[in-house]
Amino acid sequence: MTELTIAMPKGRIFEEAYEMLIQAGFDLPEDVEISRKLMIEIPSEKIRFILAKPMDVPTYVEHGVADIGIAGKDVLLEQGRAVHELLDLKISKCYIASAGLPNTKLNDIAPRIATKYPTVASHYYREKGEQVEIIGLNGSIELAPMIGLADRIVDIVSTGQTLKENGLVEYEHITDVSSRLIANPVSYRMKNERIQNLVKRLKKCVK
Amino acid sequence: MSPIRKFEKPLGMRDTFPKIFEKKEVVRQTGRDFLQMRGFDFIKTPTLEYYDTVGKASAIVESSLFKLVDSQGNTLVLRPDMTTPIARVASSKLLKEKIPLRLAYFANVFRAQETEGGRPAEFEQMGVEIIGDSSVYADAESLLTVIELLKVLEVKQFKITIGNAGILNAILSQNVRTEEQFKELHKLLVEKNIVGFEEAVKLYELPQKNKQTLLTFIEEATDLNHINQIDKYLIEKDDFIYMERLQNILAISEVEKYIYFDFTLASHMNYYTGMLFEVFATGAGFPLGNGGRYDGLLDEFGSQVGAIGFGLRVDQLLEVMPSFQKDQEEVLVLFAQNEFPVAVAKAAALRKEGKRTTLQSIEGLENISVFEQLFSKVVRIGQGGIEHD
Repeated sequence: MTELTIAMPKGRIFEEAYEMLIQAGFDLPEDVEISRKLMIEIPSEKIRFILAKPMDVPTYVEHGVADIGIAGKDVLLEQGRAVHELLDLKISKCYIASAGLPNTKLNDIAPRIATKYPTVASHYYREKGEQVEIIGLNGSIELAPMIGLADRIVDIVSTGQTLKENGLVEYEHITDVSSRLIANPVSYRMKNERIQNLVKRLKKCVK
Repeated sequence: MSPIRKFEKPLGMRDTFPKIFEKKEVVRQTGRDFLQMRGFDFIKTPTLEYYDTVGKASAIVESSLFKLVDSQGNTLVLRPDMTTPIARVASSKLLKEKIPLRLAYFANVFRAQETEGGRPAEFEQMGVEIIGDSSVYADAESLLTVIELLKVLEVKQFKITIGNAGILNAILSQNVRTEEQFKELHKLLVEKNIVGFEEAVKLYELPQKNKQTLLTFIEEATDLNHINQIDKYLIEKDDFIYMERLQNILAISEVEKYIYFDFTLASHMNYYTGMLFEVFATGAGFPLGNGGRYDGLLDEFGSQVGAIGFGLRVDQLLEVMPSFQKDQEEVLVLFAQNEFPVAVAKAAALRKEGKRTTLQSIEGLENISVFEQLFSKVVRIGQGGIEHD
């Protein structure tokens, strides 16, 4: 059996995905201490996990230092990396939406959109036939409309609670997001049997 | 933008240092000897081509082309691939002399600069084109050539995935209603976005039967046991019979262990019309190369003949090849003032023996002992005559 390197996003998605792998019959220790670790070796299954920032998972997989990985559709859309998207795990579901202050319209002259997802946002507005200016932010996006930096924000929404608490309303649903199993094109071919086996087993656990 | 520093080179460009140069040279030499023996003729085409001919006919998207303007105001491109220039030369000249042509090349090609590392804007490709032969044996020859070439280059673990553009296009178009649906599904397969493909099929307004066919096809074809499984999806069987013949030839040639059929294989190279393939090897993060039948491209240049070829990326090849240990002896002949004639004669004699010899005056060195350490043998020619180390 060949060694398989899996890039996992740190945080909540890790736990859900790890749980799925256990359900799929992989012999993994129930409790893993991942707080400071960057790598976990599972010799019994010949699996090595690398723990990365969710945004970085597709990068490791594209360059082939990880064979497969688990990444959010939001990140895949934003980065457009050359990876194969094999399975929708249907975990950590949420969606990308535009939001802003209630009863406001986009500025006619230079509508401004603040977002962590510049590619997704500019693609969305271009398809709609609107030319907008994108302002890239890294977090607390909700601030932007509140203090007058932007007319709209484009961001991940899971419950809508954060928007509500900050007095924002959702305007448009842009796309659904969930975690996907992705593979490096070379690993997909060279380790085809192992990867297909993993896909089949995980497919049964997808709810 | 910050000002350019003295040491910088343009984005995506790389220097080739002596070690890598030597390794590339091994690839080039081995590849050349091998292809030459197989009956391929080497060819070189200009670095610059017209945008209106090669630039437009090439399958590389326009945004990835390096463009410039010549003194007459014509747009030029740095060649983005070698297949298109070869198709140009072949249809305008070479095909009148010999059919079929077997051409080979080792050349650098250019793609637009990308900001992230690991994606050079200039890289070398080695490949072949067989032009003017539409038989299945030409397909087999190009596959066998790749396999043998990789073996000669001592690439340990590699696989070739084979598909067929004709078969895939037929299956898709039989089951969708509009051109847009076809294009979208094809694009999703180029990216190998299985999730996206399944989602798109479920969303389309198609008869349940077609949806089911597409979904079963994608599941079955990505995990194929035997190519016979594809037969049932096809109404027109010509391409399938062709692939069966190809499989037979490959079986006779005993290369089946390197081959893997995947009929969902799609390429952004829109000129591929029939069989197409991709080459993968353990150790490289990106595919080594690809190839296929591109009868349509010759048409662009006014020739109606069949053609097939492949190209391998030399930078990716270097990643998967074993490192060549050079055990060549390196001799240094160090000479003092006035002993120059003796030193020249000694160096000439050593070189004649086949030893790599560097001639260096003591006068020109700042630190003799450090320099000497770079050589396996040192010969000092001082006032007292020749002294061996």
